[in-house]
Amino acid sequence: MTNRQGRLFAIGSTAVAAILFLVMTLDSHRQFPELTNAENITPEVTHGKDVWHKYNCINCHTLFGEGAYYAPDLTKIAKHRGDPYLHAYMRDPSKFYNEQKHRRLMPKQDLSEKEIKDLVTFLGWVSEVDNQGWPPRPILVTGGMTTPTTMGGEGEITDADAASVTPVDSGSDPRALGEQLFSTAVPTCKACHSLTPGADGAGPSLGGLVTRTKKLLESGDYQGEATDVESYLHESIVSPSAHVVPGDMYSAGSTSFMPASYADSLSEKEIDQLVAFLATLK
Amino acid sequence: MRYKSQSVAYWYFAVAMVLFGLQLVFGLLSAAKYLGPDPLLYILPFDVTKMIHTNLLIVWVLTGFMGATYWLIPDESRTELHSVKLAYVQLVLWTLMGVATIFGYFFRYGTGNKLLEQPLPSKIVIVICMLIFLYNIGMTIKKAGRFTTTEGVLVLGLVSSAVLFFPALLEYGNYTVSIFYRWWTIHLWVEGVWMMILGGFLAYLLIRLSGADREVMEKWLYVIVGLVFLAGIIGTAHHYYWVGVPYYWLPIGGFFSALEPLAIVGMAMYAYGAMRRSGLSHPNVLALHWTLGCAIFTLFGAGLLGLAHTWPSINKWTHGTLITAMHGHAAFYGAYAMIVLAMITYALPSLTHPRENDSNVIGYWSFWLQLAGMFGMTLSFATAGIGQVYLERIMGMGYLDAQLKIQIHFIMLIASATLFTAGVGLFIFDFFRRRPRFEVEESGS
Repeated sequence: MTNRQGRLFAIGSTAVAAILFLVMTLDSHRQFPELTNAENITPEVTHGKDVWHKYNCINCHTLFGEGAYYAPDLTKIAKHRGDPYLHAYMRDPSKFYNEQKHRRLMPKQDLSEKEIKDLVTFLGWVSEVDNQGWPPRPILVTGGMTTPTTMGGEGEITDADAASVTPVDSGSDPRALGEQLFSTAVPTCKACHSLTPGADGAGPSLGGLVTRTKKLLESGDYQGEATDVESYLHESIVSPSAHVVPGDMYSAGSTSFMPASYADSLSEKEIDQLVAFLATLK
Repeated sequence: MRYKSQSVAYWYFAVAMVLFGLQLVFGLLSAAKYLGPDPLLYILPFDVTKMIHTNLLIVWVLTGFMGATYWLIPDESRTELHSVKLAYVQLVLWTLMGVATIFGYFFRYGTGNKLLEQPLPSKIVIVICMLIFLYNIGMTIKKAGRFTTTEGVLVLGLVSSAVLFFPALLEYGNYTVSIFYRWWTIHLWVEGVWMMILGGFLAYLLIRLSGADREVMEKWLYVIVGLVFLAGIIGTAHHYYWVGVPYYWLPIGGFFSALEPLAIVGMAMYAYGAMRRSGLSHPNVLALHWTLGCAIFTLFGAGLLGLAHTWPSINKWTHGTLITAMHGHAAFYGAYAMIVLAMITYALPSLTHPRENDSNVIGYWSFWLQLAGMFGMTLSFATAGIGQVYLERIMGMGYLDAQLKIQIHFIMLIASATLFTAGVGLFIFDFFRRRPRFEVEESGS
């Protein structure tokens, strides 16, 4: 090989690679609006993105897995936590996590209410971007591993995925179906609730749920309308604020941080299955 | 030193050394925060120390590139620099920009866009400095009328770096599109045009240190550049996994990223081949260590560890974990820190007065401590990352709980980072304990 041939190889391969790259760039632009739901990029989302930049969030957290590795990934956080939770969290993270326990804590950022609202809206937009199904399993902030053997996906699980881990069909025991729902409902229950007694996540642990509920119903501290364990469980799913578990990390102004969307997103039959499963947690 | 104007390189190297030292202070601080709890939570939180750590890296490596270029161009083109004054103006402007930008970061005055956090005024000064630099280099070459392939590759790399900085000046409303173009700057720098700069310096050092035949070395330099771009340009795709781009970037990214180590393997073979043929006869054996070390550590950090998590089916699990930090530290150190340290070690005897009973003992201690330290840091990040991937991504343990389980690796990280810092401290000490000299000496290098 001569010097000239070497040069031709360098120029030729660079040119070919550059042209291919530019063609794919053009095609990506054609697809960006659909993949990223560009029509949903409202001024609030754009402002939320500016808030994300202004407070340097990316130098601790990751978004789409990009950023620093000192704090949890937030790509799907809006699917794991309801808006009231995220709003309250942003006002004062120290009410939710203990630095002595986790050896890390997010410093309070002093965002305005408008900034918080738009940031959460932006994170909602991020969670809807079609990013090839990543992460393959939910990335949780705390807890996990204490749930049943079922392992759901990012919150957009296909039936095939779910069936491959816990084989159930419509004829299965309602409790088995409920157990599967526990990790496949959107947002997934296990993102916040563990099943190990004492291992509280963003929501209280459900270990020993039945025993605690019986005590609660007898104690007189209960504020809701349920009369027995089953109706209490049903009520806590469809109307989480009817009775709130004490703690700044669970509620604010007697409004629970648990999403109130399950009454709509689950059918009555599914809620019954979930109750049947939860009622096994003596 | 054959040309008086080459002495500007000394001051560029001096600034680079100071910034390198500072980078490690913020690196150690950040590492300590991984262990926690953090007494500086409300004074100097992690996001600030980490941002300063990475930005100082970029600034000192670029300062080193510029200094090394001001050293190399007169040597290759056989002439004095076009304007020494302009070179100093550029250095002062550049350093002021760097210091002011870092100072602003203490108050979170930045764009919050990873690695491109510099606020717009700083970015504009960066562009001005680059233009002064390229003008000065261009005029020197024009005056000399002698333009070697080695400096051609180097200059083309520098010009392309400046051009690729432009996408970083723009803002995009769509976060995904913003990510898309951020990598045009960052990836195409680090795995494209900076590789060209690395190749240029490497060829220069190999020709000078080993006396290898210029014709042969430059022919292979072309092949390496060709391989870098063939794989590197489309290899940008490995940054496009999971960020909201079309699906085809996944298989394409996997294929071309897997090809990326080819150029790096080529570079290591090239260095080793040159050294074997020459019999390592150059008196500056320490510079030989750094040069060969650079080629080998690049193969390990950028090549092997990059390949370790570049395939989409693996990256799906490792994306956004400490596995990335493992690759990032070893790759950046091996390829870019080490080539600058090699150029400094090569040029230093001609830029400073020799000391009585001079020996390179400190230099060797520095070399091996740095290598051992960085190897340890890489393994710490790797083991922490593997633990994180299994616990958090595969088993489904919460992020915060998984981080508690890998504390031991953070202790390992701090221990090996201390070793590394000791090595860098020795290098900086060795640099500054010699008095600079600015007279021409024929027998110089």
